[in-house]
Amino acid sequence: MERKHLNRKVSKIGMIIFSVVFVLLIILPFVWLALAAFKNMRELYASPVQILPSSLSLDNFIEAFTVQPMAQYILNSVIVSLVSTVLIIVIGCMASFSLARTKIKGKRLILLLLLTITLLPPITLLNPIYLMMSKMGLLNTRIGLALVLVAIELPSAVWYLMTFFQTIPDTIEESAMIDGATIPQTFVKILLPVVRPGIFTISIMTFINTWNNYIFPLVLNPTKDARVVTVALTMYSGDTYTPWNLIAAAAIVASIPLIIMVLAIQKRIISGMMDGAVKG
Amino acid sequence: MSNNQRTKMGYLFLIPTLIVFLVFIAYPVCSTIYLSFCNYRTQTITQGATFTGLSNYIKMFQDQEMWTSLVFTLKFTVVSVILETILGMLCAIIMNRKFKGNGFVCAMILIPWCIPTIVSGLMWSYIFAESFGVVNYLLSVANIIQDPIKWLSDGNWAFVSVIYADVWKTVPYMSLLLLSALKTVSNDYLEAASLDGAGKARRFFSIVLPNIRPVMMVAIMFRTIQSFRIYDLIRVMTNGGPQGSTKSLTMYAMEQYFTYGNMGYGAALAVLTFVISLIIAAFFQEGVKNKLEV
Repeated sequence: MERKHLNRKVSKIGMIIFSVVFVLLIILPFVWLALAAFKNMRELYASPVQILPSSLSLDNFIEAFTVQPMAQYILNSVIVSLVSTVLIIVIGCMASFSLARTKIKGKRLILLLLLTITLLPPITLLNPIYLMMSKMGLLNTRIGLALVLVAIELPSAVWYLMTFFQTIPDTIEESAMIDGATIPQTFVKILLPVVRPGIFTISIMTFINTWNNYIFPLVLNPTKDARVVTVALTMYSGDTYTPWNLIAAAAIVASIPLIIMVLAIQKRIISGMMDGAVKG
Repeated sequence: MSNNQRTKMGYLFLIPTLIVFLVFIAYPVCSTIYLSFCNYRTQTITQGATFTGLSNYIKMFQDQEMWTSLVFTLKFTVVSVILETILGMLCAIIMNRKFKGNGFVCAMILIPWCIPTIVSGLMWSYIFAESFGVVNYLLSVANIIQDPIKWLSDGNWAFVSVIYADVWKTVPYMSLLLLSALKTVSNDYLEAASLDGAGKARRFFSIVLPNIRPVMMVAIMFRTIQSFRIYDLIRVMTNGGPQGSTKSLTMYAMEQYFTYGNMGYGAALAVLTFVISLIIAAFFQEGVKNKLEV
């Protein structure tokens, strides 16, 4: 009995140590980057390493936003991600309804197609899409990039959304049909409100994925007026010199909105991911 | 009648998805496959593509640079996925226990997952920097090293750094997926086995592991395929260097496409990347089948 008690205590302490070490390993690197955003040149390259910046001045942020038009790039990212997220959710909900709640033929084939597309390396699509966009005059446009990202992120969104549509009991839909509602009406007025929490979670995840994409905007939107944040972040360093404090400041600005979004609805994101993993 | 109408609606609702796929997936894939059999250069783009049969593929298999990047990509994929699975599993097992702060740990896990890979790549470049990086500083203060380690400019160390950065970004997410699998294992089984005298390790390998296999396989498959397409991280950390030792297949194809304008050869490299991804998926067939049941 005594030993069991001791064991439990040891395991409890072990847990605490594990959690602390694990959390530190996760967030310390990011904290280190955040500290760099407040350091001046001397502090950045000081030897021995100076851990804390001497002041919380915003100079680096201001400079990071003036050497490059970062505000413009952030706006571009917001527009691209918002447009593609909205399109993905609209198109994706329709597809998920169809796959999860109707008896269409070839369902397995479409699922296989969705899966194959998620497995497809982006490099296989990149050059033809580049040539196509250039022919259509959509290179260096936010809408063009948004459309491409719809295709890239749609399959996994459908995959997740399907699990939500599957959980709706048939009776809800049946009673609406008895009341004389048409199928599009039941879809919009009955089903969508039921899966709204799920849609919200998937929207956030999709927004993050489109925001973080790098290879497509790198190729499709290289010019200044259409450039997005991820591409701009790599453009601070010159041939001979890398302004780490500016990069850190810009990187923090590019990441903090995502972190806030995710932490605000963390429970739902976690359960969404876990449900997708088990059921899907 | 209503059922019939419903099915019709089902087809209608799929149309937008199919159009998107046709334009942005099916056409580009076919075009890439076709161009891989052609000579097509940016410099002579007005002349169009000329069909050259297998010549790009023959060139590819004789191309030392392709082999170097293929070997790096495979090595990176295997090492990162194995590490991420083992570490992810360890974390998942621990997080599966109830303890104070469990929710907090789960929330923190989302941070590496949600920040852009570009940001994490830049972050690790700064941390691993040779002269002012904090890792070298800590190692020298602890008297472990005398001279700074060339984390990003020595071939072997660059591999280690890139792997570390990738592990940091994905272990948390992996552990979340594996945790969801662990939660499906019923406690009754485990208790029964424990009454029969099975130890912790025994219970894990003969009860837990077989039970979570399907979910685990899917998680590993997606991770493997994502790992295999690595580009963003090395683009900012090493840019493929030193001497091409961390250049991935995707990066090599990008170079052929957009640096040398060699679209035919780039397409052949892209097809190779796709074919290997399919082979990887075929290894996980069991998991794939599981995913397709609706």
